[in-house]
This record gives sequence, structure tokens and C-alpha cells, in this order.
Amino acid sequence: MPERVKTDMGGATAALDYDAELMLRVKEGDGASFGLLLEKHRTPVVHFLYRMVQNHAVAEELAQEVFLRVYRSRSSYEPTAKFTTWLFRIATHLALNSLRDGKNERSQERLDKDPAEMPARQISDSRPSVEQRMVYQVRLEEVRQAVAALPEKQRAAVLMHKYEEMEYSQIARVLRCSESAVKSLLFRAYETLRAHLAHMA
Amino acid sequence: MKCPIETRENAELLLAYCTRELDAESTAILERHMEICPACREFSSGQRAIWEALDAWEAAPVTLDFDRRLYRRIDREVSWWQLLMRPLRPALVRQGLSIAAAACLVVMAGVLLQHPASAPPAAQPRSAQVEAFEPDQVEPALDAMHMLGEFSYRVRGDAADPKM
Repeated sequence: MPERVKTDMGGATAALDYDAELMLRVKEGDGASFGLLLEKHRTPVVHFLYRMVQNHAVAEELAQEVFLRVYRSRSSYEPTAKFTTWLFRIATHLALNSLRDGKNERSQERLDKDPAEMPARQISDSRPSVEQRMVYQVRLEEVRQAVAALPEKQRAAVLMHKYEEMEYSQIARVLRCSESAVKSLLFRAYETLRAHLAHMA
Repeated sequence: MKCPIETRENAELLLAYCTRELDAESTAILERHMEICPACREFSSGQRAIWEALDAWEAAPVTLDFDRRLYRRIDREVSWWQLLMRPLRPALVRQGLSIAAAACLVVMAGVLLQHPASAPPAAQPRSAQVEAFEPDQVEPALDAMHMLGEFSYRVRGDAADPKM
């Protein structure tokens, strides 16, 4: 299990300044800075959206919209919050709208059904056996279903906490709620996940 | 230490402990508590299992043409704007100054036309005040008018009869 590393304050400030500085350069018409922001945040945004809507094509489409909105808003951009807070606020908003509209309803892709399309897994054996693959697929499907069954806000909070390693305060700003509300959301979400996936322990 | 499961106030401590984010001092306190609390022990092992299960969920890589598609959309937006502005551009370039001057004149005319329209409401209270005479003010005014009438009649009479 990869260990989560706490961001030191200096690093966080530097990161804030760097992304915001890049965005301010985009505001001044520097297209290369937009390219740097895209390079840095493309994968986390697409992966977050994929885990939210559980459909790769829809996730990429939504991610395109996220970056398009960032580009469109360049002239009015003010670095009042951390860049990633703003970015994930847009992404969360679009994901929740997509889920509510039911755009990806009944079109759940099974891209990971074919093991050849999946990213390589770190397993002790160099080549996983057929049985190991099947066990992995079953576990993965259970995890996906358990996450999909979470209420939308809880799901977003878990994904930002687990995969984006965001602090409670940042998740709170993205979801526009209090820090204590985020703690409560996460506690309830993990409680539900434990109930669904208890047999995996 | 209050049990995190029972109080919920310390629930975040358990989550942080399971994700190994907790500092050494708090970890030691929580581990001492867990030795005597089966509920917290169960929570902890369950949470760690969830964490590992979620780790197994890897998202597929982003498609290679993601950037190209995005830039194409951006270009399309920019070219739409350019297409809309294209008919106006020669006029803007050639007659920029005259258009700017005309625009200034239009704005100024608008301001001037608006100004009188806003004046009457300010005058309203004054006219209302004039119309609101008290009865004791009317009587001397009528007397004065009567005297003026008499004076004018006599002056005209004198002017008509040169003998007098």
C-alpha cells in the first residue's frame, strides 16, 4: 500500500504559487503555460472523473470540458484559492451534473474487462496466473460497485481523499461545505464501504 | 482517551491512523486504546482492507489524442470568434478613429438626452409647494391684485382723457 505523504506547508505554498502563476501567465496570453497545467493535471482529472462516472469515454469528455472551461475563464481568473481546488470544483460540478443527467446511465463501459487493456499490476509474480486475474477482476468489480453505490458527495469526497490525497480543508472548499461536514461524509462513506467489502479483510 | 467509535469526535483520528497520517504521539495513544477496544481494532483492520481494495482500482490511462482533441476544440472556439469578427475587421482597421469618434458622440448624445429627462422629478416638489397655498396667504394676494387692477384702470383713464 503506498504510504500517503503529508505535504509540508512550504511545498504546498510553492505548489499553489506555481500553478496560480502559470494560470496568470495563461491570462496574459501564454499558451505554453496552459500546456504545462494540462500536462500536470490531465491524468488526475481524468482519473477522478472516471472513478466518479465509471465510464472512460464520458470521463475524458468531461475532462475536456473542464480544461476548456479553465481556458475560457483565463481572462477573469484571480488566484483567490489553490488552483487544484478550482480545477476539482469544476470537475466535481461537471461529474455531478453528468450523473444527475444520467448521461452515462446504462452505458457502463467495461474497459477493464479485457486484462490486456488494463495497466500493469504490481503482483509478486511477473506474470499473474489466470486464477489471480479472475480474483482480481472480481475484487475490482466489487470495489467499483461499492463506490458507485455511495451517494454522489460521499463518492467525490472519498475519491479526493483516497486518490488525490487532498486534505479535509481542500475537499471542503471543493465541495463548498465545512471541514466537519467533510469528516462526517468520509466517515459515513468508509463505514458503508466497510460494510460492502468486509469480506475482503 | 475517548473511544473514537463512541464519540465520533475522534473518528478522524482512526481514519488518519489507518492511512498512516497520524503523528507518532497520537499513534501511540490510539494504539494503547486499541489494545483494550475491540471495536476500534475491528474498524482499523476493516479500514485498512478498504484502503488496499481501493488501491487495486487503477484507472485506465488517458488516451493519447486527449491534448490534440482539446486544442482542436480551443482552436474551433477561437476561429468561430474570428469568423464573427472578420467582416468588421477591415472597417475597424481603416476607420478605427472615425468609428471611435462616432461612438463617443453617440455616448455623449445619449448622456445629454438622458440628463433633461432626469431633471423634472427634482423640480416636482417645488411646484407642489407653490400649489399648496394656505387660505390666509390667498386673501392678501387677492387684495393686492384688486389694488393693482384699480391702479391700472385709473392710469388708463388718465391717459384716455388728456384734459384731466
